[in-house]
Amino acid sequence: MEALNVIFSVAFLAAVLRVSTPLILPALGGLISELGGVINIALEGIMLVAACTGVLVSVWTQSAWLGALAGVAMGTFVALVLAFFHLNLKADLILAAIALNLLASGGTIFVVYLVTGDKSSTSRLVSGQMPFLSDFIPGVRALGEIGRLLDQNVLTYAAFVLTAVVALFLYRTRTGMHLRAVGENPEAARSVGINVRRMQYLALVLSGVLAALGGVYLSMGYVKFFARDMTGGRGFIALAAIYLGARKPLGVLIAALVFGAAEALSIQLGNLRVPTQLVQIIPYFATLAALVIYAVVQRQRALARQRAFVQSRAAR
Amino acid sequence: MESTIPLSFDRIAARKAVQAERRRSMLIDLGVTLATIIAALLMGFIVIALLGKDPFLAYEALLTGPITRLGRTGRWLELATNLILVGLGVSIAFRARQFSLGGQGQMVAGAIVAALIAIYVPLPPLLGVLIPIAAAMVTGFLLGLLPGVMKAYLRANEIVSTLMLNAIVLRLYDYVLTFHLKPEGSATTRSLPVQPTAQLPTFYELFGVDLGRFNLGVILVVLGAIGVWLLLERTPFGFAIRAIGANEQFARYGGIDTRRVIMLAFAAGGAVSALAGVHLLLGVHRRLFLDFVGNIGWDGITVALLARNNPLLVPLSGLFYAYLLVGGDRVEQQAQVGSELVQVIQAVIILLITAQVLGDWIRARRARTQAEG
Repeated sequence: MEALNVIFSVAFLAAVLRVSTPLILPALGGLISELGGVINIALEGIMLVAACTGVLVSVWTQSAWLGALAGVAMGTFVALVLAFFHLNLKADLILAAIALNLLASGGTIFVVYLVTGDKSSTSRLVSGQMPFLSDFIPGVRALGEIGRLLDQNVLTYAAFVLTAVVALFLYRTRTGMHLRAVGENPEAARSVGINVRRMQYLALVLSGVLAALGGVYLSMGYVKFFARDMTGGRGFIALAAIYLGARKPLGVLIAALVFGAAEALSIQLGNLRVPTQLVQIIPYFATLAALVIYAVVQRQRALARQRAFVQSRAAR
Repeated sequence: MESTIPLSFDRIAARKAVQAERRRSMLIDLGVTLATIIAALLMGFIVIALLGKDPFLAYEALLTGPITRLGRTGRWLELATNLILVGLGVSIAFRARQFSLGGQGQMVAGAIVAALIAIYVPLPPLLGVLIPIAAAMVTGFLLGLLPGVMKAYLRANEIVSTLMLNAIVLRLYDYVLTFHLKPEGSATTRSLPVQPTAQLPTFYELFGVDLGRFNLGVILVVLGAIGVWLLLERTPFGFAIRAIGANEQFARYGGIDTRRVIMLAFAAGGAVSALAGVHLLLGVHRRLFLDFVGNIGWDGITVALLARNNPLLVPLSGLFYAYLLVGGDRVEQQAQVGSELVQVIQAVIILLITAQVLGDWIRARRARTQAEG
């Protein structure tokens, strides 16, 4: 009973939004890369680099926005390196991404250690934080519970807006359709004159921008410092959300919210003496199930198309 | 067929030429790998110097650290044992171009199942070790089978499925340990120790040589490397794996049941990776605790990659990688340079090695000069 009260409270909903933001953004990025046929396993590393750069630059410039900008730029640069190694130097996409994750984990700790002399976090520095809604409209706070729900970080709002933007880009623009065509069948795309390499560069760079925003949120919104390996596997959960969301922008948004809800719930249930590990497992199982269901449905569709094709020829 | 028809001299010569070409290709790969390692180490040297630290001191610690004290040597060999076992497991699926990242989960799952037997079931000597090992291998096999079936028969992305299974297994591990294996009233989250008959004896216990926790589990490495090599190079199954790795469609046209082979490649890899978990349990820690495996699953992938998935080279790359890890810790103590810098150097090495272009370029150049000459 107590658990149900927790779930249906406004405070819980607000927590879900907070926790989901660093999943939605990289998941959208991962979606673009997946649809472009170059799935980005380095989301985790890109988030870390962006989170670290954002904090350090915000300390140095005393501006949260400049920090965020630098974080996104640096994260995008990492994605660009991945694209260069894969598309120009013919490195294996997965292995190069694993190397970049390792590089990001070690590199960020190393830089933080150089700057602060502390290996665990930058909590001794006073770093910037991206504004919340109440920073623009102070009246929000007065709205009580609803106010607390609405008083989210600007990047949380951005996550929802960007879901729509990504959907429009992928399904309503020429470039987006070309990008998906490349992911669907690179040979066919090339034969109609689409520059496959350029599209895959674009897919990886865009995934870098979105993952970097997620990283910046983590260190400059969710909390106000950078800690070693603070992404804690969110880049990989984001990958799962792509499949749980059936590789569609809205689906990915919902899947990321489901993962966020499970995380928020496990935080809450920690106080209620329910094994949190078992709660945390649920979304992973759901992803496995979604992966299977998605694969089966795709197969059925392919078979149905085949049958229709054979029938249409027989009729002729 | 072949044995009944005598080979013509042409065919013998042709085979020799192919073998010579393959050797040359391997030498080029080896040369590129070594050059990459040296380049990355040089880069680290320059970075340390630029930071105003003493690079010679740091590199002395890095390069001699693991061999200047027996305890550290033991730590090096013990860590290498883990990395090699995971690397061997990972290399089987990688050879079929299947990106199974499930080594971590397979290790942990193998360790849990082995622990349930090794802690609670008193067994006679030898059996006390062999039965947990067999149980872990079966567990790893089954855990590998699942993403294998999903990939082979449903075309479900194996990267995501193995990552999900890793996450599930790690949380189940936490759960089983915290709520079932932890003795009542114990302050720390850890299990009881394994039965004395289930321990893999350390070299200290056997011969009085203080090599830390380095233990007889090293036998698993020898058997594993030879076994995986035989499996890949000397069996029809291994041939099928390599054929699929070279060109899946071609393998299918050649009459190979590619789906079955892919499925079993995942499973076989899981069985071998699980050995690392059982080595940690029976030889190194002798009980379970939180964060039991650390980063070994990911490092094992790197080790397989460095060896280009060749089971006879995996032990070499495992020894090298573990050497860098232990040396890195030493650098931190000696030269006040973080071991993270060593991690960065490792990452740069991997990144440069994945860039196929260099080796391909040398090969193409050779082919061109040969064609001209």
